[in-house]
Amino acid sequence: MENFSEVLTLFLSVDNFLAIAAGVLVGVVVGAIPGLTATMAVALALPFTFSMEPVTAILLLVGIYKGGMYGGSITAILIRTPGSPASACTLLDGYPMAQQGKAKKALKTALYSSVVADMISNIALIFFASYLAKIALNFGPPEYFWLICFSLTIIVSVSGSSVVKGLIAAGLGIIVSTIGLDAVYGTQRLTFDNYNLMDRVSFIPLLIGLFAIPEVIEFYTSKVAPHIRTAVSGASLTWKEFKGLLKTIVRGSLIGVIIGAIPGTGATSAAFISYSEAKRTSPRKANFGKGEIEGVAAAESGNNGVAGATLIPLLSLGIPGDVITAIILGAFMIHGLTPGPVLFQENLTLVYALFCGIMVSSFVLVFVGNAAIRYFSLIADIPKTILLPIVLMFCIYGAYAVNNSTFDIALMLAFGVVGFVFNRTGIAAAPFLIGFILGPMFEDNLRRTMLISKGDLSIFFRGPITWVFVMLTVASLIFAIRRYWVARKEDALA
Amino acid sequence: MMKLMKSRLKGKMLCTLAAVSLSFGGLVQADEWPEDNIRLVVPYSAGGTTDLLSRKVADLLQKELTTVVVENRPGAGSTVATGQLARGGRGSDHMLLMASPGHTIGASLYPNLRYDPVADFAFVRNVINIPNVMVVPSDSPYNTVAEFVEAAREQQLSFSSPGIGSSIHMSGELFKNLTQTNLVHVPFRGSGEALPALLSGDVDVAFENMPTVYPHIQSGKLKALAVTTPTASEFLPDVPSMQQAGKGYGLESYETSAWFGLIAHKSFPEEGMAKLQAALDRVMAGEDFKKFLPQFGAEAGTVVGDDFRQFVQNELQKWSDVAEKANLKR
Amino acid sequence: MEKSELQFVAASESHYGRCNPNSVLGCAFSILALGFLFYVIPSHIEIPGQMQHPLLSPRFLPQLAGWLVLVLSLILMVDGLVTPPKRSEADEFRRGVPIMRQVLMVAAGVVYVLFFEELGAIGSGFLASVLLFLASDLRNIWVYALAIIFPAIVTLLFIYVLNVPLPPGTLWESLSLI
Repeated sequence: MENFSEVLTLFLSVDNFLAIAAGVLVGVVVGAIPGLTATMAVALALPFTFSMEPVTAILLLVGIYKGGMYGGSITAILIRTPGSPASACTLLDGYPMAQQGKAKKALKTALYSSVVADMISNIALIFFASYLAKIALNFGPPEYFWLICFSLTIIVSVSGSSVVKGLIAAGLGIIVSTIGLDAVYGTQRLTFDNYNLMDRVSFIPLLIGLFAIPEVIEFYTSKVAPHIRTAVSGASLTWKEFKGLLKTIVRGSLIGVIIGAIPGTGATSAAFISYSEAKRTSPRKANFGKGEIEGVAAAESGNNGVAGATLIPLLSLGIPGDVITAIILGAFMIHGLTPGPVLFQENLTLVYALFCGIMVSSFVLVFVGNAAIRYFSLIADIPKTILLPIVLMFCIYGAYAVNNSTFDIALMLAFGVVGFVFNRTGIAAAPFLIGFILGPMFEDNLRRTMLISKGDLSIFFRGPITWVFVMLTVASLIFAIRRYWVARKEDALA
Repeated sequence: MMKLMKSRLKGKMLCTLAAVSLSFGGLVQADEWPEDNIRLVVPYSAGGTTDLLSRKVADLLQKELTTVVVENRPGAGSTVATGQLARGGRGSDHMLLMASPGHTIGASLYPNLRYDPVADFAFVRNVINIPNVMVVPSDSPYNTVAEFVEAAREQQLSFSSPGIGSSIHMSGELFKNLTQTNLVHVPFRGSGEALPALLSGDVDVAFENMPTVYPHIQSGKLKALAVTTPTASEFLPDVPSMQQAGKGYGLESYETSAWFGLIAHKSFPEEGMAKLQAALDRVMAGEDFKKFLPQFGAEAGTVVGDDFRQFVQNELQKWSDVAEKANLKR
Repeated sequence: MEKSELQFVAASESHYGRCNPNSVLGCAFSILALGFLFYVIPSHIEIPGQMQHPLLSPRFLPQLAGWLVLVLSLILMVDGLVTPPKRSEADEFRRGVPIMRQVLMVAAGVVYVLFFEELGAIGSGFLASVLLFLASDLRNIWVYALAIIFPAIVTLLFIYVLNVPLPPGTLWESLSLI
C-alpha cells in the first residue's frame, strides 16, 4: 500500500479541511435562503476555486453540494419555503411538525437522515461505482420511460386527503410543464406569443410560489393569531426514535443511490419515491402529511442519498447527471482533469484523496448542521408579522435572480395565488410539483423512444430493466387502488 | 483557504468600487479608455462552458488592461443579456458580452428578437473555438463519413443533441441538409443525458463538442469519424476534417464549431476597441492562454474586428438556411 | 371527500349543501378543462409540418393531461353533489378579516411585480415591507427601521457577496442624471 501514503499526503492538508468545512457551511446557509439553491451556490463558488489545488477545489464544491442538499430542508421545515426542489418533500411532514411545536425534532431528524444517507451514498460511490455506472449506461430512453411511469405512481401517496384532487393537481402541473418551445419540433406550445414563456416556466418561481407564498397570503387573509413560540423550546430527537427510523432511512438512502446513479433523474424523484415507499409500509399511514417524523426521515434520506451517487456517473463515466455535477465537471476540466475511466487510471491517488474528503464532508455536516439548527431555529421565534414580509422579500429577490426578469416575480406570485386556492380547497400542492417535474421527462423519453425505434412499439419491452419497472409500476398502481378502496370502505363504515 | 478568503474579499472590494465608479462614471468626460472597470457579461448561468471560458479570459485580460468584472445574466437562451447590450445606455462603453453560437442560432430561430444580431453590435474578436466531432458508438458498423452517408441514404438513422437549437443539433441538421440523408433528430436535455444514449448505441451518431466526447474517444467507447472544422484538430490528428472526409457527398463546405467571441454595443469607443484588441492579442499570445486551451479541446480564435462581424453574418445566414429547411423557423 | 359520511342528513350546520367546495371546484375545473381541450390546444399549440408518429405530437401530452383533469373534475363534481363534505373549523378563523389588511397585501405584491426594476431591489423591498407591516398594524418604529435595513443588507449581500445582480432602480438612476 505505498499508494496509501500518497493519498494521505495529498488529502491531509489544512486547505482541504478548511475547504470542506467552508463548503458545507456555505452550502447549508445558501441552501437555507429562500430562492437560492445548492445549484446556484456551487455555480457561484466555482470561480473562487480556479486558483486552488484540484482536490481542494473539488472538495469545496462537493461540500457546498452536500450542505446545500441539507440546508434546503431547514427553511422547508421552519417557514414552508423549500430551499431546493427536493426539500418540497421534506416540507410535507416537516412543516406540520414545526407547527405542532416539534420543529427541533424535525430539523434533527432531517439532519441525521441526511448524514446517514450521505454516508451510505459515499460508500456506494467508493465501492460500487463501476458496477452502478454499468447499470446507468443500460438506461436508454425506454428504461427511463418506465422509471418515470413508476415515479408518477407516487402522486397517489402525496395527494393528501383526496386522491382525485391530487390527480387533478398533477394534471394541471403537467399542463403547466408543457408551456414553452416543443423539445422535438421547436414549435410554440401555450406560450401565447409571450417571449418570457418560450424557455418554459422557470422552476424556482414555481417552487417558491406554490409553497411559500400561500403561507404569506394565508396570513394576511386571516385574523392575526397570537404568536406561538415553537422551535427552540421543542424536544429533540431521541435515540430511540432514531433507531425506529433507521430502516426508513436506509431504504431511502438506497433509493437515493440508485436514482442518483442514473443520470438525469434527480433528487426530487428520489425524495418522493422514498416518501411514498415509507408511507406504503408504515403502520401510521394516516399520519403522513400531518407531521409524521418518518415522512421527514424518508424524504431527507432519499434526497441526500442522491448526493454521493450522482458523482458515480460523473467520476466513472464523465457523465454529469444533473446541473450541479455538470458544474463540478467544469471544475475538473479547469484543472486539466477529465473525469471518466481515464481519471481512475492516471490520477488514482487524486480519486482516493477525493473519496477521503467526501467521507469527511459527511462528518462535517453533523457539526455544521447542528450549529445551523441552533441559529436558524431562532427564525421560528420571530413573530410572523415581521418574519413573513422578510421571507417574501427573499423569495422575490431569489425569483428575480434566476433569469434577471421581473416576469418571474409575477409568475411566482401567480403560482402563490394558485397554491393559496389549492390550500383553501384541500388540493395538495405536491402532486402539482411532481406533475411539473415528471411530465416533461415522461414526454421526452416517450418521444425519444419513438424516435429511436422509428415507431416500433416493442422497444418499450426490450430488456430486463424495462420489465422490472413495468412490474413495479403495475404493482404500485394495484397497491394504490386497493388502499384507496380500503380507505373508502373504512370511511363509509365509520 | 486563505486564497479563497482573499480573492473573495478582493472581489467584494472590486465590486463595490465598480458600483461606485459606475454611478459616477457617466458624468466624467472620457479622455482615455478605459477610465472604468470593464464589465464582461456572460449571457448564460454561472458554471457552464461559456461562463468558465469567460472567467478565464477575464482573468487574463485584466492583467493586461484593467479590472474585468464578470456578470452572469442568463435568460431565454442568451437573448435577455444580448438584448440589454443592444439597448446600450449608461456604462455600455465599458461593457462586453461573450457571444457564442447561441447568438446567431437564436436569431435565426426566433425572428421576433428586438435587436439585430449584426448591426447593433461592435465586434471585438473571436477568442476561442471548440470544434465539434462526428462520433459513432464503438460497435457501429460505420468507420468513415462516406460509409455513414451511404447507409443514412438507405435507411433512417438518428443523431442526438443536448437540445433543439444547440450548435450540436444545428451541426447535425446542416449535415443532413448537405448530404441529403435521412437523419432523425433525438433531442435530450444537456450533453449529460445525450451521452449515455450515444455510448450505448441507442442513437447512431452525434456531432458533439470536443471536450464532451474526447475522453470517450480516447477510451475507445466512441469512434470519431470527422471533426467539423475545416482542418484536422491537433487533439485528434488522425481524424479527418468533414470537408476532407465528405468529399463527393456534399460536405465540401461543411464547417461548424462552438465559437466564443467578445462583442460590444455598436457605440463602443474606437480607442477602446483598438486597446482591447491589442490587449487580447497579448493575452492570446501568452503561455497561460495556450496552456488553458487544451483543457477544453479548444483552439485560439482567428477572426478580428470586421472579419469577425463578417463571420457572424455568415453564420447567421448559414443557420437561417438550415432552420428554414429543417422547419425550425418560428 | 372520501372522509365525508354517506348519509342523507339534511344540510346541517356541519355540512355544505349541494353547492359545496367540491362540486363548485369540480364544475369550474371541468369548464376550464373543456376550454383548454377544445379552444386553447387547437389555437395555441402548433402542429409541425411533418410528424413521424401521432405519439410524437406536441399536442399529445397536453391533451392527455387535459382529459385527465376533465374526467377527474367530473368525478369530483358528482362526488361533491352526492356526498357534500364537512365544513372545517378553519373557516371561522377566516371571517371578519379587515379589508385593509388584504388590500395592503395586494399592494405589496403590486409593488414587487410592477415597480421592482423602477424602484430597485432596496426601494421596492422597503416599500412592500412597510405596507405589510402596516397591514399587521405594527406600531413600533423600530420595526419600520428593519424594513429599510433588511432590504439594504440582503441586496448588498446578493450583489457583492453572492455576485447575483439585482436591479439598482432605474428611477434613482434617472434622478441622479438630472
